[in-house]
Amino acid sequence: MEVVPNKDPQLKTTKPPKSMSPWAMARRKFMKNKLAMISLVYLIILAILSFLAPYITTVDISRVNIGQMKLPPSSEHWFGTDTSGRDVFVRLLYGGRVSLFVGISCTMIILFLGVIVGAIAGFFGGIVDSMLMRFTDFVLNFPFLVFVIVLNAILFGKVGGVGVLIGVISLLGWGGVARLVRSKILSEKENEYVLAATSIGGRPNKVIMKHLLPNVLTTVIVQATILFANMIVAESALSYLGFGVPQEVPSWGNMLSASQQPEVLQDMPWIWVPPAIILVFTILAINFIGEGVKDAFNPKSFR
Amino acid sequence: MSITELNKAQTEKLLEVNDLKMHFPVKGGFFKRTIGAVKAVDGVSFDIKKGETLGLVGESGCGKSTTGRSILRLLDPTDGEVLFNGEDITKLTGKRLRDIRQDIQMVFQDPYASLNPMQMVGDIVSEPIKNYHKNRKGEELKAEVMDLLTRVGLPEDAYYKYAHEFSGGQRQRIGIARALALKPKLIIADEPVSALDVSVQSQVLNLLNELQDEFDLTYLFIAHDLSVVKHMSDRIGVMYLGNIMEVANKSSIYAEPLHPYTQALISAVPDASKIGQKRERIVLEGDVPSPENPPSGCPFHTRCPKAMDECSKTKPQLKEVKPGQHVACLLYE
Ligand SMILES: Nc1ncnc2c1ncn2[C@@H]1O[C@H](COP(=O)(O)OP(=O)(O)OP(=O)(O)O)[C@@H](O)[C@H]1O
Ligand code: SF4
Ligand SMILES: [Mg+2]
Repeated sequence: MEVVPNKDPQLKTTKPPKSMSPWAMARRKFMKNKLAMISLVYLIILAILSFLAPYITTVDISRVNIGQMKLPPSSEHWFGTDTSGRDVFVRLLYGGRVSLFVGISCTMIILFLGVIVGAIAGFFGGIVDSMLMRFTDFVLNFPFLVFVIVLNAILFGKVGGVGVLIGVISLLGWGGVARLVRSKILSEKENEYVLAATSIGGRPNKVIMKHLLPNVLTTVIVQATILFANMIVAESALSYLGFGVPQEVPSWGNMLSASQQPEVLQDMPWIWVPPAIILVFTILAINFIGEGVKDAFNPKSFR
Repeated sequence: MSITELNKAQTEKLLEVNDLKMHFPVKGGFFKRTIGAVKAVDGVSFDIKKGETLGLVGESGCGKSTTGRSILRLLDPTDGEVLFNGEDITKLTGKRLRDIRQDIQMVFQDPYASLNPMQMVGDIVSEPIKNYHKNRKGEELKAEVMDLLTRVGLPEDAYYKYAHEFSGGQRQRIGIARALALKPKLIIADEPVSALDVSVQSQVLNLLNELQDEFDLTYLFIAHDLSVVKHMSDRIGVMYLGNIMEVANKSSIYAEPLHPYTQALISAVPDASKIGQKRERIVLEGDVPSPENPPSGCPFHTRCPKAMDECSKTKPQLKEVKPGQHVACLLYE
């Protein structure tokens, strides 16, 4: 008689069923992507440091300190001080707070508006689609920079803070997402599972929310990373030009604008190099994460 | 006519389709104006009696899926009537339309595209029930879904899996379970096996046959060749370019096809009982014309071996040429 190895029957039955949702599969694939994971860790650390800045430093960043102007890096001021005597390292953290906040807020609002408009246009088609898309084209063709500059000039001093900037960027920025989501929905709608969702009695909102959006979400997530990077760049560029967040609020863009003074640009690199480097690293990290997400959601893996 | 056939003829019609048309507008030009129409379905009529299977056969692109989808109102037909239990459902909206969908379900053509890749099989099959019966939930609902899964021949642990973990045949079984979940009266099976391996096809066909008896189902069974419908249908409708060419009992269609197009299709089916007999295969010349610009008169006249002068001028109507055998051809006018 053949000897059958004594297998523990328990072992077989207690093993969890090897079944993975497409999300779980994507997550596993993403975690294996080193560059994307390093980028993610970098971003998380940066975000935590920035948002905790007021609690981990006691330095007052808004007070001008005439006695400590333009100091090079030292053990007391890691990245030196700027032309007003403020600690560059601490301002960098505070600047991250503003830059990341503006970036995230704009991205969220833009995604929200863009996904709603795009999903409705793509799903219902016909006249609803035509009208929404005409409106989208109008918004897309709006001279963005001019509008931001003019609006900022008008509102200057009346409404404070970064709210104006976030509002303006968001209201003018959702067009691209709307178009993308619409075209994705149009192609996804051709799949029979969407017809099936209607034929089994699903109402339109359920068909959109439960069937179309989850399958469009992968595209949206990738788009979100691109947007996030773009929004941080937009904030910095506008602030550099003086049309972004108010001058007294530290942001990476505002810090960079110090380099407009030839003296700073030439002789005091510690003032403008740190924000420049951190900006570049952040943008790169976001892009690597975006690429990682895109790879992880390669649709071939779950069809 | 045999006794059983007589009985069937007397039973009531579950579905009656009268002169159904589905024209897709073709937009073009600068202002996106309608510049033409794809006449995917151009005046289709047939009926299905309770408990029977009507096979709908035709080449790819002749409008079979469009017919099925129009009946289910997944498309809004351009014209015509669809009577379900005597009620015209082409104009229904809102709640009435949703109610009627409980009684008519569809099994889709593509087992890969017809299941949401993001959903667990258990969710896919329970969703129709959740849509209509808010009170059924929890363990009770799960048990019901498990029953359905076992009934269509899937293992119980399929409940927690995703579509990508199954083969084409198994996916089609999931689609069948979803269609069964609401206990419908009519199932429109849109080429349910054409995407499957030949070895798997007969298993799925057998399953559909078993389910028909068990759940008292009526089928509209769509296929693109006659060999598949042969094992499924009581009656067969032959479609060409958005039109029905011939509808008759399966036996009549095979024994004595009247329409030239049906004759050509039959001649292409290998027939074991006629081995040794000399059989001429009718090979059709040319391609199927575009539904955007269909031929005048009889839609088949550009390829018909028996075409007459008259055929390009007059469009033949479906007429009862022999008892129970309806043909649209000028040869029988
Ligand atoms: N939404 C649509 N818009 C425009 N034309 C369409 C649309 N759906 C189908 N058609 C056209 O209508 C015709 C019939 O299509 P349909 O899908 O009903 O064919 P079918 O008989 O099911 O073919 P197959 O065997 O390939 O499934 C085709 O010419 C197709 O291109
Ligand atoms: S009507 Fe004429 S063209 Fe059409 S099938 Fe009959 S014989 Fe052929
Ligand atoms: Mg089809």
